[in-house]
Amino acid sequence: MNYQPGNRPSRRRAPWIIGAVLTAMAITFASVMIISSGGSLSNDGEPDAAEDAMGVVNGAVAISGTALPTVPQAGADPALGRAFPSLQGTNLFNGSPLTIGADGRPKIVIFVAHWCPHCQAEVPVITQWMAEHGKPHDVDLYAVSTAVAPERGNFPPASWLQREKWPIPTMADTTDGNAFKAAGLTGFPSFVVLDAAGNVLSRPSGELSTRQFELLLAQARS
Amino acid sequence: MHGAEAAQTATVRSVAHVDVTSISLFFALLAVLGGAAAVAVLAISFVASNAVVRLRHDVADAALPLALLVAATCTVGSLYYSEVMHYTPCKLCWFQRIFMYPLVVLLGIAVARKDRSVRRDVLPLSLIGGAISIYHYQLQRFPQQRTSMCTIDAPCTAKEVEQFGFVTIPMMALVGFALISALMFCLHGAARTAASATPIDEPETS
Repeated sequence: MNYQPGNRPSRRRAPWIIGAVLTAMAITFASVMIISSGGSLSNDGEPDAAEDAMGVVNGAVAISGTALPTVPQAGADPALGRAFPSLQGTNLFNGSPLTIGADGRPKIVIFVAHWCPHCQAEVPVITQWMAEHGKPHDVDLYAVSTAVAPERGNFPPASWLQREKWPIPTMADTTDGNAFKAAGLTGFPSFVVLDAAGNVLSRPSGELSTRQFELLLAQARS
Repeated sequence: MHGAEAAQTATVRSVAHVDVTSISLFFALLAVLGGAAAVAVLAISFVASNAVVRLRHDVADAALPLALLVAATCTVGSLYYSEVMHYTPCKLCWFQRIFMYPLVVLLGIAVARKDRSVRRDVLPLSLIGGAISIYHYQLQRFPQQRTSMCTIDAPCTAKEVEQFGFVTIPMMALVGFALISALMFCLHGAARTAASATPIDEPETS
Protein backbone atom coordinates (compact mmCIF):
# COMPACT_ATOMS: atom_id res chain seq x y z
CA MET A 1 0.00 0.00 0.00
CA ASN A 2 1.42 3.40 -0.95
CA TYR A 3 1.83 5.74 1.92
CA GLN A 4 -0.40 8.79 1.79
CA PRO A 5 -0.49 11.61 4.28
CA GLY A 6 -4.16 10.97 4.81
CA ASN A 7 -3.54 7.50 6.21
CA ARG A 8 -0.59 8.28 8.42
CA PRO A 9 0.04 5.88 11.26
CA SER A 10 -1.98 6.65 14.33
CA ARG A 11 1.08 6.48 16.58
CA ARG A 12 2.88 9.80 16.42
CA ARG A 13 6.65 9.52 16.51
CA ALA A 14 7.56 13.17 17.04
CA PRO A 15 7.84 12.86 20.84
CA TRP A 16 10.15 9.86 20.38
CA ILE A 17 12.36 11.74 17.95
CA ILE A 18 12.61 14.75 20.27
CA GLY A 19 13.25 12.44 23.23
CA ALA A 20 15.99 10.62 21.31
CA VAL A 21 17.70 13.89 20.41
CA LEU A 22 17.56 15.14 24.01
CA THR A 23 18.89 11.79 25.24
CA ALA A 24 21.76 11.91 22.73
CA MET A 25 22.63 15.43 23.92
CA ALA A 26 22.53 14.34 27.56
CA ILE A 27 24.72 11.30 26.87
CA THR A 28 27.21 13.46 24.95
CA PHE A 29 27.34 15.99 27.78
CA ALA A 30 27.73 13.29 30.44
CA SER A 31 30.49 11.58 28.45
CA VAL A 32 32.42 14.81 28.05
CA MET A 33 32.09 15.61 31.75
CA ILE A 34 33.22 12.12 32.78
CA ILE A 35 36.21 12.28 30.44
CA SER A 36 37.08 15.78 31.67
CA SER A 37 36.85 14.91 35.35
CA GLY A 38 38.98 11.82 34.78
CA GLY A 39 41.57 13.88 32.95
CA SER A 40 41.75 16.54 35.65
CA LEU A 41 42.41 14.14 38.51
CA SER A 42 46.10 14.28 37.82
CA ASN A 43 46.01 18.06 38.24
CA ASP A 44 44.76 18.00 41.82
CA GLY A 45 48.21 17.60 43.26
CA GLU A 46 51.56 18.97 42.35
CA PRO A 47 52.15 20.76 39.06
CA ASP A 48 52.78 18.22 36.31
CA ALA A 49 55.30 18.22 33.50
CA ALA A 50 52.95 20.04 31.16
CA GLU A 51 52.64 22.94 33.61
CA ASP A 52 56.41 23.04 33.99
CA ALA A 53 56.76 23.26 30.22
CA MET A 54 54.41 26.23 30.04
CA GLY A 55 57.33 28.58 30.61
CA VAL A 56 56.78 32.23 31.42
CA VAL A 57 53.43 33.49 30.21
CA ASN A 58 53.55 37.13 31.25
CA GLY A 59 56.27 39.02 33.07
CA ALA A 60 57.03 42.41 34.51
CA VAL A 61 58.58 44.84 32.04
CA ALA A 62 60.40 47.96 33.23
CA ILE A 63 60.18 50.66 30.58
CA SER A 64 62.72 53.48 30.46
CA GLY A 65 62.20 56.39 28.16
CA THR A 66 59.21 57.83 26.36
CA ALA A 67 56.61 55.62 24.73
CA LEU A 68 56.45 55.91 20.96
CA PRO A 69 53.40 57.49 19.32
CA THR A 70 50.83 55.05 17.93
CA VAL A 71 51.43 53.83 14.41
CA PRO A 72 49.14 55.92 12.15
CA GLN A 73 46.70 54.17 9.82
CA ALA A 74 48.08 56.21 6.92
CA GLY A 75 50.79 58.74 6.31
CA ALA A 76 54.26 59.20 7.71
CA ASP A 77 55.19 57.43 10.92
CA PRO A 78 55.75 60.10 13.63
CA ALA A 79 58.05 57.71 15.52
CA LEU A 80 60.77 57.71 12.87
CA GLY A 81 64.02 58.99 14.33
CA ARG A 82 62.74 58.83 17.89
CA ALA A 83 64.43 56.78 20.60
CA PHE A 84 62.92 53.38 21.28
CA PRO A 85 62.20 52.99 25.01
CA SER A 86 64.43 50.53 26.83
CA LEU A 87 62.62 47.34 27.89
CA GLN A 88 63.84 45.32 30.85
CA GLY A 89 61.88 42.14 31.29
CA THR A 90 61.95 38.37 31.49
CA ASN A 91 63.04 35.77 28.97
CA LEU A 92 59.96 33.83 27.90
CA PHE A 93 61.76 30.50 27.81
CA ASN A 94 63.85 30.42 30.97
CA GLY A 95 62.74 33.34 33.12
CA SER A 96 66.15 35.01 33.03
CA PRO A 97 66.43 38.81 32.77
CA LEU A 98 66.31 40.18 29.23
CA THR A 99 66.96 43.77 28.16
CA ILE A 100 66.12 45.35 24.83
CA GLY A 101 67.72 48.76 24.72
CA ALA A 102 70.26 50.96 23.00
CA ASP A 103 73.69 49.28 23.23
CA GLY A 104 75.38 50.50 20.08
CA ARG A 105 74.08 47.73 17.81
CA PRO A 106 71.22 47.89 15.31
CA LYS A 107 68.19 45.79 16.19
CA ILE A 108 64.91 44.41 14.96
CA VAL A 109 62.28 43.80 17.63
CA ILE A 110 59.45 41.50 16.56
CA PHE A 111 56.14 41.58 18.47
CA VAL A 112 54.07 38.38 18.19
CA ALA A 113 50.83 37.04 19.70
CA HIS A 114 50.46 33.28 20.11
CA TRP A 115 46.86 33.19 18.87
CA CYS A 116 47.41 35.34 15.77
CA PRO A 117 47.38 33.25 12.56
CA HIS A 118 49.66 35.74 10.82
CA CYS A 119 52.24 35.43 13.60
CA GLN A 120 51.90 31.65 13.38
CA ALA A 121 52.69 31.95 9.66
CA GLU A 122 55.54 34.44 10.11
CA VAL A 123 57.48 32.60 12.82
CA PRO A 124 58.42 29.63 10.57
CA VAL A 125 59.51 32.01 7.81
CA ILE A 126 62.03 33.76 10.05
CA THR A 127 63.06 30.49 11.70
CA GLN A 128 63.74 28.97 8.30
CA TRP A 129 65.70 32.02 7.20
CA MET A 130 67.89 31.83 10.30
CA ALA A 131 68.39 28.10 9.84
CA GLU A 132 69.71 28.80 6.35
CA HIS A 133 71.71 31.99 7.01
CA GLY A 134 72.55 31.78 10.70
CA LYS A 135 72.24 34.55 13.23
CA PRO A 136 73.03 37.96 11.66
CA HIS A 137 76.40 39.09 13.01
CA ASP A 138 75.69 42.78 12.70
CA VAL A 139 72.01 43.06 13.67
CA ASP A 140 70.51 41.83 16.92
CA LEU A 141 67.11 40.19 16.76
CA TYR A 142 64.67 40.21 19.68
CA ALA A 143 61.04 39.25 20.03
CA VAL A 144 58.29 40.14 22.48
CA SER A 145 55.44 37.74 23.20
CA THR A 146 52.42 39.93 23.89
CA ALA A 147 48.59 39.95 24.07
CA VAL A 148 48.49 36.57 25.79
CA ALA A 149 44.98 35.11 25.83
CA PRO A 150 44.79 31.41 26.83
CA GLU A 151 41.26 31.07 25.51
CA ARG A 152 42.33 32.06 22.00
CA GLY A 153 44.30 28.88 21.44
CA ASN A 154 47.89 27.91 20.63
CA PHE A 155 48.67 28.53 24.30
CA PRO A 156 51.13 28.86 26.00
CA PRO A 157 53.32 31.02 23.76
CA ALA A 158 56.57 29.45 25.01
CA SER A 159 55.41 25.99 23.90
CA TRP A 160 54.42 27.30 20.48
CA LEU A 161 57.74 29.05 19.89
CA GLN A 162 59.77 26.12 21.18
CA ARG A 163 57.79 23.81 18.93
CA GLU A 164 58.70 26.07 16.00
CA LYS A 165 62.36 26.04 17.12
CA TRP A 166 62.25 29.84 17.38
CA PRO A 167 65.88 30.94 17.71
CA ILE A 168 65.33 34.55 18.83
CA PRO A 169 65.53 35.74 22.47
CA THR A 170 61.96 36.54 23.42
CA MET A 171 60.64 38.76 26.20
CA ALA A 172 57.35 38.05 27.97
CA ASP A 173 55.20 41.17 27.89
CA THR A 174 53.03 42.21 30.84
CA THR A 175 49.41 41.12 31.15
CA ASP A 176 48.36 44.58 29.93
CA GLY A 177 50.84 44.52 27.05
CA ASN A 178 52.90 47.45 28.33
CA ALA A 179 55.87 46.76 26.04
CA PHE A 180 53.53 46.57 23.04
CA LYS A 181 51.91 49.85 24.06
CA ALA A 182 55.27 51.51 24.67
CA ALA A 183 56.24 50.62 21.12
CA GLY A 184 53.06 52.33 19.88
CA LEU A 185 51.97 49.30 17.87
CA THR A 186 48.48 48.30 16.79
CA GLY A 187 48.75 44.83 15.25
CA PHE A 188 50.59 41.52 15.06
CA PRO A 189 53.12 40.67 13.91
CA SER A 190 54.89 44.02 14.12
CA PHE A 191 58.53 44.81 13.54
CA VAL A 192 60.46 47.74 14.99
CA VAL A 193 63.72 48.42 13.18
CA LEU A 194 66.29 50.35 15.24
CA ASP A 195 69.61 51.86 14.26
CA ALA A 196 72.78 51.53 16.36
CA ALA A 197 71.74 54.54 18.45
CA GLY A 198 68.41 52.91 19.29
CA ASN A 199 66.31 55.23 17.11
CA VAL A 200 63.35 53.96 15.11
CA LEU A 201 63.96 53.44 11.41
CA SER A 202 60.61 51.83 10.59
CA ARG A 203 57.67 49.95 12.19
CA PRO A 204 56.15 47.65 9.57
CA SER A 205 53.45 45.17 10.50
CA GLY A 206 51.89 42.07 8.96
CA GLU A 207 53.35 38.94 7.45
CA LEU A 208 56.67 39.53 5.72
CA SER A 209 58.27 37.41 3.06
CA THR A 210 61.88 36.32 3.35
CA ARG A 211 62.84 39.10 0.92
CA GLN A 212 61.00 41.73 2.97
CA PHE A 213 62.69 40.47 6.13
CA GLU A 214 66.09 40.80 4.43
CA LEU A 215 65.21 44.37 3.47
CA LEU A 216 64.55 45.13 7.15
CA LEU A 217 67.96 43.72 8.02
CA ALA A 218 69.54 45.90 5.35
CA GLN A 219 67.67 48.91 6.69
CA ALA A 220 68.94 48.22 10.22
CA ARG A 221 72.52 48.02 8.93
CA SER A 222 72.27 51.30 6.98
CA MET B 1 52.45 39.53 42.71
CA HIS B 2 52.92 37.43 45.87
CA GLY B 3 53.59 33.73 45.47
CA ALA B 4 50.32 32.58 47.03
CA GLU B 5 48.34 35.04 44.96
CA ALA B 6 50.13 33.94 41.81
CA ALA B 7 49.47 30.29 42.61
CA GLN B 8 45.79 31.04 43.22
CA THR B 9 45.55 32.93 39.93
CA ALA B 10 47.24 30.06 38.12
CA THR B 11 44.85 27.56 39.70
CA VAL B 12 41.78 29.61 38.73
CA ARG B 13 43.15 29.98 35.21
CA SER B 14 43.78 26.24 35.01
CA VAL B 15 40.28 25.35 36.23
CA ALA B 16 38.70 27.82 33.79
CA HIS B 17 40.84 26.39 31.01
CA VAL B 18 39.66 22.83 31.74
CA ASP B 19 36.05 23.97 31.86
CA VAL B 20 36.10 25.79 28.57
CA THR B 21 37.89 22.86 26.97
CA SER B 22 35.20 20.45 28.18
CA ILE B 23 32.36 22.71 27.13
CA SER B 24 34.00 23.32 23.76
CA LEU B 25 34.41 19.58 23.30
CA PHE B 26 30.71 19.14 24.08
CA PHE B 27 29.68 21.80 21.57
CA ALA B 28 32.10 20.38 18.99
CA LEU B 29 30.62 16.88 19.38
CA LEU B 30 27.14 18.37 19.00
CA ALA B 31 28.35 20.14 15.86
CA VAL B 32 29.64 16.89 14.36
CA LEU B 33 26.42 15.05 15.20
CA GLY B 34 24.37 18.03 14.05
CA GLY B 35 26.20 18.16 10.75
CA ALA B 36 25.44 14.51 10.08
CA ALA B 37 21.81 15.09 11.10
CA ALA B 38 21.53 18.08 8.77
CA VAL B 39 22.71 16.00 5.80
CA ALA B 40 20.29 13.19 6.71
CA VAL B 41 17.32 15.53 7.18
CA LEU B 42 18.12 17.32 3.93
CA ALA B 43 18.27 13.97 2.13
CA ILE B 44 14.89 12.77 3.37
CA SER B 45 13.40 16.14 2.48
CA PHE B 46 13.85 15.54 -1.23
CA VAL B 47 13.70 11.75 -1.72
CA ALA B 48 10.32 10.49 -2.92
CA SER B 49 10.16 6.81 -1.90
CA ASN B 50 7.24 5.76 0.30
CA ALA B 51 9.37 4.79 3.29
CA VAL B 52 11.24 8.06 3.16
CA VAL B 53 8.03 10.06 2.82
CA ARG B 54 6.75 8.46 6.02
CA LEU B 55 10.01 9.26 7.78
CA ARG B 56 9.86 12.79 6.39
CA HIS B 57 6.46 13.30 7.99
CA ASP B 58 7.69 11.93 11.30
CA VAL B 59 10.65 14.30 11.26
CA ALA B 60 8.42 17.15 10.07
CA ASP B 61 6.17 16.59 13.07
CA ALA B 62 9.17 17.12 15.32
CA ALA B 63 10.85 19.79 13.16
CA LEU B 64 9.66 22.89 14.99
CA PRO B 65 10.68 21.84 18.52
CA LEU B 66 13.94 20.40 17.17
CA ALA B 67 14.75 23.64 15.35
CA LEU B 68 13.93 25.54 18.52
CA LEU B 69 16.29 23.24 20.44
CA VAL B 70 19.08 23.88 17.92
CA ALA B 71 18.58 27.67 17.97
CA ALA B 72 18.44 27.71 21.76
CA THR B 73 21.61 25.60 22.03
CA CYS B 74 23.45 27.89 19.62
CA THR B 75 22.28 30.95 21.56
CA VAL B 76 23.29 29.50 24.91
CA GLY B 77 26.65 28.48 23.44
CA SER B 78 27.42 31.93 22.06
CA LEU B 79 26.37 33.59 25.33
CA TYR B 80 28.55 31.14 27.27
CA TYR B 81 31.61 32.11 25.25
CA SER B 82 30.98 35.86 25.47
CA GLU B 83 29.45 36.27 28.94
CA VAL B 84 31.07 33.44 30.92
CA MET B 85 34.40 33.03 29.18
CA HIS B 86 34.56 36.71 28.17
CA TYR B 87 35.59 36.07 24.58
CA THR B 88 35.05 39.25 22.60
CA PRO B 89 32.77 38.54 19.62
CA CYS B 90 34.22 39.80 16.35
CA LYS B 91 32.15 41.67 13.78
CA LEU B 92 31.23 38.53 11.84
CA CYS B 93 30.27 36.78 15.08
CA TRP B 94 27.84 39.61 15.76
CA PHE B 95 26.31 39.28 12.29
CA GLN B 96 25.72 35.58 12.91
CA ARG B 97 24.16 36.38 16.30
CA ILE B 98 21.81 38.82 14.58
CA PHE B 99 20.47 35.96 12.48
CA MET B 100 20.49 33.27 15.19
CA TYR B 101 18.98 34.97 18.24
CA PRO B 102 15.65 35.94 16.65
CA LEU B 103 15.15 32.31 15.63
CA VAL B 104 14.67 31.36 19.27
CA VAL B 105 11.75 33.78 19.56
CA LEU B 106 10.29 32.97 16.14
CA LEU B 107 10.48 29.22 16.63
CA GLY B 108 9.33 29.46 20.24
CA ILE B 109 6.15 31.22 19.19
CA ALA B 110 5.71 28.80 16.28
CA VAL B 111 6.02 25.80 18.60
CA ALA B 112 3.45 27.26 20.97
CA ARG B 113 1.06 27.98 18.09
CA LYS B 114 1.99 24.83 16.14
CA ASP B 115 2.49 27.14 13.19
CA ARG B 116 4.38 25.35 10.43
CA SER B 117 4.21 28.36 8.12
CA VAL B 118 6.99 29.94 10.17
CA ARG B 119 9.44 28.14 7.88
CA ARG B 120 9.01 31.01 5.41
CA ASP B 121 10.30 33.43 8.04
CA VAL B 122 12.96 31.12 9.44
CA LEU B 123 14.59 30.02 6.18
CA PRO B 124 15.82 33.47 5.05
CA LEU B 125 17.38 34.05 8.46
CA SER B 126 19.01 30.64 8.68
CA LEU B 127 20.30 30.65 5.09
CA ILE B 128 21.80 34.15 5.34
CA GLY B 129 23.27 33.32 8.75
CA GLY B 130 24.75 30.13 7.31
CA ALA B 131 26.29 32.05 4.43
CA ILE B 132 27.97 34.42 6.90
CA SER B 133 29.25 31.41 8.87
CA ILE B 134 30.76 29.93 5.70
CA TYR B 135 32.52 33.21 4.94
CA HIS B 136 33.78 33.50 8.53
CA TYR B 137 35.00 29.90 8.60
CA GLN B 138 36.95 30.18 5.36
CA LEU B 139 38.42 33.46 6.62
CA GLN B 140 39.77 31.56 9.62
CA ARG B 141 41.20 28.91 7.28
CA PHE B 142 42.77 31.43 4.90
CA PRO B 143 43.44 34.54 7.02
CA GLN B 144 45.68 36.25 4.45
CA GLN B 145 42.79 37.25 2.20
CA ARG B 146 41.55 40.17 4.32
CA THR B 147 44.78 41.48 5.87
CA SER B 148 48.21 40.18 6.77
CA MET B 149 48.04 41.25 10.42
CA CYS B 150 45.85 40.80 13.48
CA THR B 151 44.45 43.61 15.57
CA ILE B 152 44.45 43.41 19.33
CA ASP B 153 40.67 43.58 19.84
CA ALA B 154 38.74 40.77 18.14
CA PRO B 155 40.11 39.76 14.76
CA CYS B 156 37.75 37.64 12.67
CA THR B 157 40.67 35.42 11.72
CA ALA B 158 41.48 34.29 15.28
CA LYS B 159 40.33 30.84 16.36
CA GLU B 160 39.30 31.06 20.01
CA VAL B 161 38.10 27.47 19.89
CA GLU B 162 39.31 24.62 17.68
CA GLN B 163 38.35 21.01 18.32
CA PHE B 164 39.24 17.97 16.18
CA GLY B 165 41.32 20.30 14.03
CA PHE B 166 38.34 21.77 12.20
CA VAL B 167 35.45 22.63 14.54
CA THR B 168 35.67 26.33 15.36
CA ILE B 169 32.92 28.66 16.60
CA PRO B 170 31.81 29.70 13.07
CA MET B 171 31.68 25.99 12.14
CA MET B 172 29.40 25.35 15.12
CA ALA B 173 27.19 28.24 14.00
CA LEU B 174 27.20 26.93 10.43
CA VAL B 175 25.99 23.52 11.59
CA GLY B 176 23.26 25.20 13.65
CA PHE B 177 22.04 27.24 10.70
CA ALA B 178 22.30 24.23 8.37
CA LEU B 179 20.32 21.96 10.69
CA ILE B 180 17.59 24.54 11.19
CA SER B 181 17.44 25.10 7.42
CA ALA B 182 17.27 21.36 6.77
CA LEU B 183 14.41 20.98 9.26
CA MET B 184 12.56 23.82 7.56
CA PHE B 185 13.09 22.18 4.16
CA CYS B 186 11.75 18.96 5.66
CA LEU B 187 8.65 20.84 6.85
CA HIS B 188 8.28 22.32 3.38
CA GLY B 189 8.63 18.92 1.74
CA ALA B 190 6.05 17.37 4.06
CA ALA B 191 3.66 20.26 3.42
CA ARG B 192 4.03 19.85 -0.34
CA THR B 193 3.38 16.12 -0.10
CA ALA B 194 0.31 16.77 1.99
CA ALA B 195 -0.90 19.46 -0.42
CA SER B 196 -0.49 17.18 -3.43
CA ALA B 197 -2.43 14.41 -1.67
CA THR B 198 -5.12 16.62 -0.17
CA PRO B 199 -6.86 18.95 -2.62
CA ILE B 200 -8.61 20.88 0.13
CA ASP B 201 -6.60 23.74 1.57
CA GLU B 202 -5.82 22.89 5.10
CA PRO B 203 -4.46 25.30 7.69
CA GLU B 204 -0.74 24.71 8.12
CA THR B 205 -0.83 23.57 11.70
CA SER B 206 0.42 20.32 13.10
